[in-house]
This record gives sequence, structure tokens and C-alpha cells, in this order.
Amino acid sequence: MADKRAQQRSKYTLDRGIPGAFEGETITRRRFMTGTAHGAGAVAAAAFTLPALGFAIGPVFKSTPHRWEVVGTVDEFPDNNYVPVVLTLVPDIGEAGKTTAYVRKFNPALDTDPYDKGTPYIAISDRCVHLGCPVRWVDASERFVCPCHGGVYDILGERVSGPPVRPLDRFYSRVTGEDVELGPRFSVNSKLRRFSPRLPGEPLDGIGQYLYPSTPGAKKL
Amino acid sequence: MPKLPAPPLPAPLKTPPPLPGQGNGEAGPLEDAKQAGITVVDWVDERTSLSGAARWLMFRKVPKGTNWFYTLGSATMFAFLNQVVTGVFLAMYYRPEPAGGAYESVRYITNEVFLGQFVRGMHKWGSSVMVVLVFLHMGRTFFFGAYKYPRELNWVIGVVLLILTMVMAFTGYLLPFDQRAFWATTVGVNINGTGPLIGPYLSDFLYGGTEFNATTLSRFYAIHMLIVPGLIAALIGAHLYLVAKLGTTAPPWQKLHKRHELIETEV
Amino acid sequence: MNQREKEEYLHDYAIMKSQGKPFFPYAVAKDAVMACVVMAVIITLSLVFGDELGSKVNAATTSYDARPDWYFFFLFDILRIIRTPSIIQLATIGIPTLCMILLFLLPFYDRGPERRPERRPLATTAGIVTICLMAYLTYQGAHAGTPDALEFATPKAVIENGPAAVEKWNEGRLAIAQSGCEACHTIGDNGNPGPGPNLTHIASRLPETAIARTLVNPTQPMPSYKNLPAKKFNAIVDFLSQLK
Repeated sequence: MADKRAQQRSKYTLDRGIPGAFEGETITRRRFMTGTAHGAGAVAAAAFTLPALGFAIGPVFKSTPHRWEVVGTVDEFPDNNYVPVVLTLVPDIGEAGKTTAYVRKFNPALDTDPYDKGTPYIAISDRCVHLGCPVRWVDASERFVCPCHGGVYDILGERVSGPPVRPLDRFYSRVTGEDVELGPRFSVNSKLRRFSPRLPGEPLDGIGQYLYPSTPGAKKL
Repeated sequence: MPKLPAPPLPAPLKTPPPLPGQGNGEAGPLEDAKQAGITVVDWVDERTSLSGAARWLMFRKVPKGTNWFYTLGSATMFAFLNQVVTGVFLAMYYRPEPAGGAYESVRYITNEVFLGQFVRGMHKWGSSVMVVLVFLHMGRTFFFGAYKYPRELNWVIGVVLLILTMVMAFTGYLLPFDQRAFWATTVGVNINGTGPLIGPYLSDFLYGGTEFNATTLSRFYAIHMLIVPGLIAALIGAHLYLVAKLGTTAPPWQKLHKRHELIETEV
Repeated sequence: MNQREKEEYLHDYAIMKSQGKPFFPYAVAKDAVMACVVMAVIITLSLVFGDELGSKVNAATTSYDARPDWYFFFLFDILRIIRTPSIIQLATIGIPTLCMILLFLLPFYDRGPERRPERRPLATTAGIVTICLMAYLTYQGAHAGTPDALEFATPKAVIENGPAAVEKWNEGRLAIAQSGCEACHTIGDNGNPGPGPNLTHIASRLPETAIARTLVNPTQPMPSYKNLPAKKFNAIVDFLSQLK
């Protein structure tokens, strides 16, 4: 039944004998008004939805400038044990913007990895790379231990057991005069190759670095 | 409605008809007030026809055998109302400033504000009670098979409400900005970040940047007190409409009295 | 449910509804009583427990054990159970998302006309199993220990040897907790399952001298504890050799 009607109805207004039809015209007044109702409504709704949405997701694309911070003098850090220092990640928000880094001097016997060459100090972030809990350095067992879900790392920050997906993140370090300065954070994969900073829980081995891209806000050094 | 016959009261208890000369047709102030109330209701109803909707909602019939398990839904809604009211009053004192203002304002509510500890306690424990009630209500619906035809859509709305309740519970405990608040939020945001491809962007969206920063707290505050409560209120409306339209389910064990089949037309 | 069953249900339900009572006041009265109960519970909890406020945020902490509120303990424990790095996405988003999808689609895959729980054995069993599982996970999550402490009941043999032995035992317990042993070993209900062996009954497998030797000269990847202060080292050896 419906097919039959569709066959009878031509899409041209002229064929359907509508008064005032033009040659080749297909849009009737009703179709035009329906289109206007939908179109104008969508434009009006988009006019407040899109700016609001852009406003909300804007900060995702904004990157913050790098900061270097003096954390101590060169003789404060031994090369076989970590010293915790407090760093400011985000200024102006008090204690919530701080973090702890575990710092020790570069030790050629331990840090044999080619990617570590030329790094004056090894500075390891205290945020567990499973889901971001604060890990603690246990001197006696030479392990970083996470209190939440059982992540354990060795002295290089590489996973020993538990759910962490990559070694602990690190901070860039440099020596200015007598001072040790720590800079931005970076992530490493299981071969200690460096990547721009990722959030915890994002593996960087194999396909991982493509499945978990670095976000626009994370500025590369 | 047919008028009920007067109850067979003994003569001394019956209200005597007004004697001639007493209350000579003129109404006292009480009757005047009553009359005024009726007039106002009539005036509104004449212009809105709300009485029909109220009658449809309140005087619909509920099958026999509905027991205390059937109060869990309304109890959940009541817990939500408690959260709304206490939450609004907490918002009068709360400041979402991560630099110390947030924690200080919550401490101020607890220690200085009259009844502050009590109202914040009601909000805090109300959230636990609401979570428990949501799960109990869902359990009742599940075991009684109340999600089956024709109430599938209401089940789906209910699951959305469950998720939104958990979102409220999660975004709520960042706000006091104590240690638990901060670390639980860090872990929660990072959990979102473990989704492949979109995860990293989602985390940055929740943080409003790459790290926990000055806008993160106000972001969670807006989600907790504007976006999600609005959605919950709207969906509770839809949930209730469907309950009223489709009717409260009968308990699955309820026997059908076939002899009433004849009066089916009165439905 | 086919068309006939649907119509039958609607028909039966219409009759049951017609035999019922009006919502107001019969059901509303119960609801109102329940609302009073709910408020009584909330107010009691508020008066008894108050509004706890933890210590101020310190994002640079090195000693805080992050834990969620109780209603997320079941999710928290899933994260502790699934500890293989390559599948953590399963615990963080996989299982919760799957459960949500199953919950959403429940009325679409369970379409039988039967509503009585005792005649839907599969659904009822699944529901009860889910509740038990969530209760178990919540319990486990609530009892997740910290790696800085060791909860272990003092054995009878130690108590019998007098208060000095108990003190020494507690000294060893503290030394173990501070030395990070729980990072790689399970001791009773504490610690991680691996890579090191379970130490709960280590003394029944190794004599005291062998324990001391292993601590000084361990197999990789365990670090040597020879640099520990002698007092602490002896306390650990003494403690471990009591774990029969």
C-alpha cells in the first residue's frame, strides 16, 4: 500500500500539481517549514551547548610552563640511597600542588642503562604508576612500596611485583653551581626509554605508547 | 462519589443541629478560612487542571499484597531529598578553594556553625544510607522479577540512577579536601585514565589540566551539586511517571482471584 | 515473553490492580513510616559518628595509606586482586563496565514470563552469588592492611615463654614491618603474594641458622639484609624462626 503511494507521488512539485510550482522544484512549503523548525532549533541549542562544552574542555589543550626548582645542594644526596624532597608541581594551590621526589646521585654501577647516561641525579616520583597512590622508599629492602594495591618497585623504580604497568616516573635533574634542580616529570618504559609524562595506569611498552597518547597539555621538553 | 450513610451513633454523641437563633446562617472565622482555602484551590485547579493529575497519581490502585519491600523506592527518594536539603545549606558555607579555603570552610562548618556538625553528618551519612537503599531497592526489583515486561524501560532508568548515585558518592568526598578526599580523587581520575585512547583525555578533562590544579575542585563541585543532582531529579521524575503509568507490581506470589474477572471493565 | 504471554500478564495485572487499594493513603502511609525510619537512621548515625574530617591535604605525604569510602571497597578490592600489569584495565574499567552493561540489558536477555524467584533458579542464584561476592569484596577491601604494619597473633609457644619473649616477638614484628618484607612476602593475612615465598610457616621449612643465612645471602631478586643494625636483624631472625 505504502509502496503504491510512493510510486504515485513524484518528488517534483510540478508533477503533483501543487499551485505555484516551479519546474524542477522539490521542496513544498510544509517540508520547508519542517526543515526550518528542526534547523533553527538545532542552531539555537548548539549556540549555547557548544561554547559551554568548549569552555569545559578548554583546559585539556592548555599546557603549563616548565618549572625548575632547587631541592638541595650536591653533597646532600648519596649515590646508593634515596633522599625524599618536596617539589611544587602546581603553584598557588598550597599542599595539594606538591609532590615528593626520591633523589640520589647518579651511580654508574647501578644506572647502567644507556638512557640514563649524562643524568647527574636520579629523581623518582612518588606517585605509583598503577593508580597514583604515594609510594614510600623502604631503605632496608631497597624497595618502593605502594600502600594501596600492592605495587612494589626496585631501586631503579622498575616493577618487582604487583599491578604497576611501567617503572616509576622520574624528574629531569640538573646542577646549577652547588644546587641540584629538578625540572619536569617524564615517564619511562620498561627499558627506561623516556616519554613525555603520562598518567598512572598507562603502559608504554609495545603498542601501549600509541593506545595512551600524550595529551596536548603535556608539554615535551 | 456516592455518599456514605451516616454512622449509627447513639443519640447523645450526634452533633445537634443548630438551634434557631444560634449561628443564624453566618459562618464563623473557622468556616471562613476553610472556605477561603477551598476557593484558592478551586481557582488554581480551574486554571491548571492539576487535580486530575493528582488524583491519577495518588488514587491509582495498588495491587493487594504490596508489603514493606515496596517502600524502598520511596525511601531512596526520601534519602535523596535529605541530601538535597542538607546539601543546599552546606553550600552556603562551603568554599571550593584548594589552597586551604575548602578544608577550612568544612572545619568551620564542623566546629563553629550552629548545628554544623549535625547537618554535615546528616549529609555524609545520608549518602551511605542512600547507597544502601538504592541497592536494596534494586535487589527487590530483581528478585521479584519486577523489571520484566512492561517495565523494562523503568529498570534501565533505575540503572542510570544507580550509576548517578555512585557518581554523587564519589564526587562528594573530594569536597572536604582532607587526605582521603585528595587521594581517592587521584585514584578515581587515574582509573578513568586507564581507558585506551580516550582515557588520557578523559583524565585531563576531569582534572581540567594535566595535574590536580586550582580548577579541579570547583569542577567536581559543579558536577556534584549542579549537573548530577539535576539529572537525578529529572530521572526520578521519569521513573515515578512510569511507575504511576504502569502500576506498582504485584508480589510474584500474589494469587489472582478469577471470580473478579467479570468486573474487569471497571479498571 | 511472546505476545500471548504479554497480553495474559497485562490482563491478570489489570484484574489484580482493580482488586487493590488506592495508593493514597494505604501505600503512602507505609512510605511515610519508612521515611521516618530512614531519617531516624540518618540522624542516629549523624549524632553517633558525627562528621569525620581527616587531616588536611598533603600531596607530598610518604606515609598515607589511601583508602576509599566503604561503598567503594568492592571496587578497591578488585584492583588489589587483579595484579598482573598487562590486564589491569580489566580491573579498572573492564569488569565494572561489563557489569554495568549486564545490568542495563537485564530485561532484554531475561525475558521469561516467570516472576517468582523460586521458579527462576538461574536468576535467583546469580543474584545471590553477586550479593555474596560484593559482600566478600567489601569485607576484604575493608581489611586491606598497610605495608608498614604486621598484624599477627602471638603464638602460644611465645606467650608461654614469658613477657620477655613476647616483647622480643613484638620487636621482631615491628622490625619486619619497617623493613619492607611485606612487599614481596605473605605473612599471615599481611603482605603481597610474591615474588617471594609465603613466610607464614617458614620456621617449619627452614631452621633459624638457614633463615639468617638467607637474609644475608639471598637469591635474586631479594636484596641482602646484611647492612641492617644487628639488633634489628636478630629480631627479624628470631621472629621468623617462631613462625611454625
